[in-house]
Amino acid sequence: MSGPPAIAIRTIDLDGAVNAIDDVAAFCRTRVFVSHGDELIGSVDIENTFAPISATRLSDAIAAGLWFQIARRKADPKATSAARPALSHDIGVSVIIPTCGRPEDLRRCLQAVEAQRGTRPLEVIVIDNRPGPASPTVAVVREFEHVVLIEEGRPGLSYARNAGFAAASGAIVVAIDDDVIVPAGWLERLVAPFARPEVTAVTGHVLPVELDTPSQCLFEAYGGLGKGFERFERDGDWFRSRRVAVPTWLLGATANAAFRAEVFADSRVGMLDEALGAGMPTGCSEDTYLFYRILKADGTIAYEPAAWVWHRHRRDLAALRAQIYSYSKGHIAYHLTTLFRDGDARALIRMFYSLPRTYLGRAWYRLRGYSDYPLSLIALEIAGSLAGPWALWQARRRVRRLGPGARRPAVAEIGGKTQISAAGMARSA
Amino acid sequence: MKLVSVELSEPLPALPPCTKGVQWVLVKLHGTPLGFVRTPDAGCGPEGLRALALEELTWQIARRYARPEPVRRPHPAVSMTVAVCTRNGARRLPACLDALDALEYPRELLDVVVVDNAPVDETTRRAVEGHSRIRYIREPRPGLDWARNRAVLDSRAEIIAYTDDDVSVDPGWARAVAEAFAEEPHAMCVTGLVVPDEIDTPAQLLFERYGGFGRGFDRQVFRVAPGESAMRRFGGTGRFGTGANMAFRREFFAQGGLFDPALDVGTPTNGGGDLEMFFRVLKNGHALVYEPAAIVRHRHRRSYEDLRTQITNNGIGFFAYLVRAARIYPEDRLAVARLGLWWMWWWHARRLLRSLVRPSAFPIELILAEIKGSCVGLKRYAPSRRCAAGVVQQFGDAAPERTA
Repeated sequence: MSGPPAIAIRTIDLDGAVNAIDDVAAFCRTRVFVSHGDELIGSVDIENTFAPISATRLSDAIAAGLWFQIARRKADPKATSAARPALSHDIGVSVIIPTCGRPEDLRRCLQAVEAQRGTRPLEVIVIDNRPGPASPTVAVVREFEHVVLIEEGRPGLSYARNAGFAAASGAIVVAIDDDVIVPAGWLERLVAPFARPEVTAVTGHVLPVELDTPSQCLFEAYGGLGKGFERFERDGDWFRSRRVAVPTWLLGATANAAFRAEVFADSRVGMLDEALGAGMPTGCSEDTYLFYRILKADGTIAYEPAAWVWHRHRRDLAALRAQIYSYSKGHIAYHLTTLFRDGDARALIRMFYSLPRTYLGRAWYRLRGYSDYPLSLIALEIAGSLAGPWALWQARRRVRRLGPGARRPAVAEIGGKTQISAAGMARSA
Repeated sequence: MKLVSVELSEPLPALPPCTKGVQWVLVKLHGTPLGFVRTPDAGCGPEGLRALALEELTWQIARRYARPEPVRRPHPAVSMTVAVCTRNGARRLPACLDALDALEYPRELLDVVVVDNAPVDETTRRAVEGHSRIRYIREPRPGLDWARNRAVLDSRAEIIAYTDDDVSVDPGWARAVAEAFAEEPHAMCVTGLVVPDEIDTPAQLLFERYGGFGRGFDRQVFRVAPGESAMRRFGGTGRFGTGANMAFRREFFAQGGLFDPALDVGTPTNGGGDLEMFFRVLKNGHALVYEPAAIVRHRHRRSYEDLRTQITNNGIGFFAYLVRAARIYPEDRLAVARLGLWWMWWWHARRLLRSLVRPSAFPIELILAEIKGSCVGLKRYAPSRRCAAGVVQQFGDAAPERTA
């Protein structure tokens, strides 16, 4: 299976100069992410056919592709993040990074996270999901003075993240993956929407740091991890108004998300479902189900595209196939969970009507030549979906054997609202 | 009426009532052409014109305002030869030469030549004599591409820009061409915008409706990736522009070869020399830039008969170019055949069927004329090559000495 050719990734800030891009001679196509101040306004693709891109051409492409976004920002001075309320600086934040034997990724990630430190109390917790004497994680964490290491021996991303969520002392808990790189200013932009009391959770944008291999390009074509350049919010009204399954998978992911700590202690929401997520037969959807529970409990989830992170997609096709297969499995496992746990019959419509229709539509588009998304990946998604129920059953059996994951103490136990405690911060300081 | 060019950032003129043809206005903003508006026959005042431009060109104006200002590459002074190839065109030349005299370009870097192609008399020489800064060269071998090649061999400039004798160049034309070459170092060819100089007669309006010579107001860079077929991707090279407004780096001719003397006006093929050269630039892996800021005004044929001849020749020239491509590049034969068939369907048959179902202002006769030209063009390249060989026998192939 040959995939699409490599795409160069570049960024440009419209507050600075629009210069020629001369270092893309190895690429046929270049994707330029355009930011304005500290916000991303969009991206443009330029077919540079292995030649540099002149400044004039870049300007023309930006004007042609993003003139509406630029004009709107010029017309609306409130569109800048400076005009939006900021979160009070004494509210502490805990960043939870689960990892499992990827020391280089983790080091790069921690360096970027540590660079976010400002006046706000910041706690960084790494959860080693494969602890042991040979674990490379310990040495990496030791390089960083303020980073806390927690061990969670039970395999599963949800076990690991729950251990971090339970241990976090900040009023805001941020979840990222160890294979993301956060740009300067990311943390403040991600937590800024919590200045409004109704916001329960914030998700951010995830951009590809490179599209060098066919598998990375295919993953972006599959949908990638980002959810676009426009802000949106979803709440309980949206959750109840949908007649088909609520598309919580369009809200973001725990590769880049933040929560109010008290939601984990809320009995209507709780922690991540350990039966879902990477490291389990289901493969994913633990975050999707958490969003589902938050919305069901009348919480509000805000998508904040200005808080973007860079993600390195899997470079080889085998890993891509495994990922897409597990996404499909996890998607069905998620719907079955909402059906059996929450009695949500809308899942049936999704599983037996709209999802098959989506697959058929995608295959039709491919056969008609409207897209170049490979049929083999569509087949893989269908196979994954069919394997979903069995995967969920296996995962549930495994969770019964391993026992429930870490739980956050009920709110009442620590006395009223979860506030950042002096003791908690002492650990990180 | 003569085309009026206005700049939106400056006070606009009032337009008098339209006495013949239609009144088109070329609207620019900060020097960038945005598009045309057609004003009412009763004329319109400055406010009316502004309102019309804002209404019809809203998106283009918004785009222009949203465009971030680029930091252009340093623009070194580059020498340029501007070549006007003409044949017995003394009547058309004065306006053309006046416009060339008004070019805003460093004089020491600009070399303007008129190549007189197989003239029957001395009128062209006399027309040029009044312009001290314009050189006159005579090319006895009949055929436009001989004249174009003569300009290449005669020139020592880095860039050779071509225009026609029925064209008035915009004062900023040469500068825009040079800047496009400076911005895109890998470009070997720059083409520009050709706007109608006047729309007085129905034939001139018909030509614009047919497609005109303009290729839009978006700057574009074309290039094929290594391994990609230039014929499959960009075979229809008419979309890049026309010989009335094209420029090449002189170094390209050293590696890519000169214009094919068997093509274009003055030979049985009657056209296609420019299309073939655009293709060769892309085929050799170079970039071609369409730069709408490089503007020339073209006086379209005034009579219906001349228009029909021109459209017939378009068909002949395009298919002669395709036949040549199939002869020279065996690997492209399949792509040429595909393009030829697709063109017959997409451009000819579809337009013909549509005009049969719903008669439009564009006469069926002209569509048929181009179809006829296309069929004729398939057979014209071979005899044209024999003609070119005869010319070589008659005049010798030796490049003439550079004139002083």
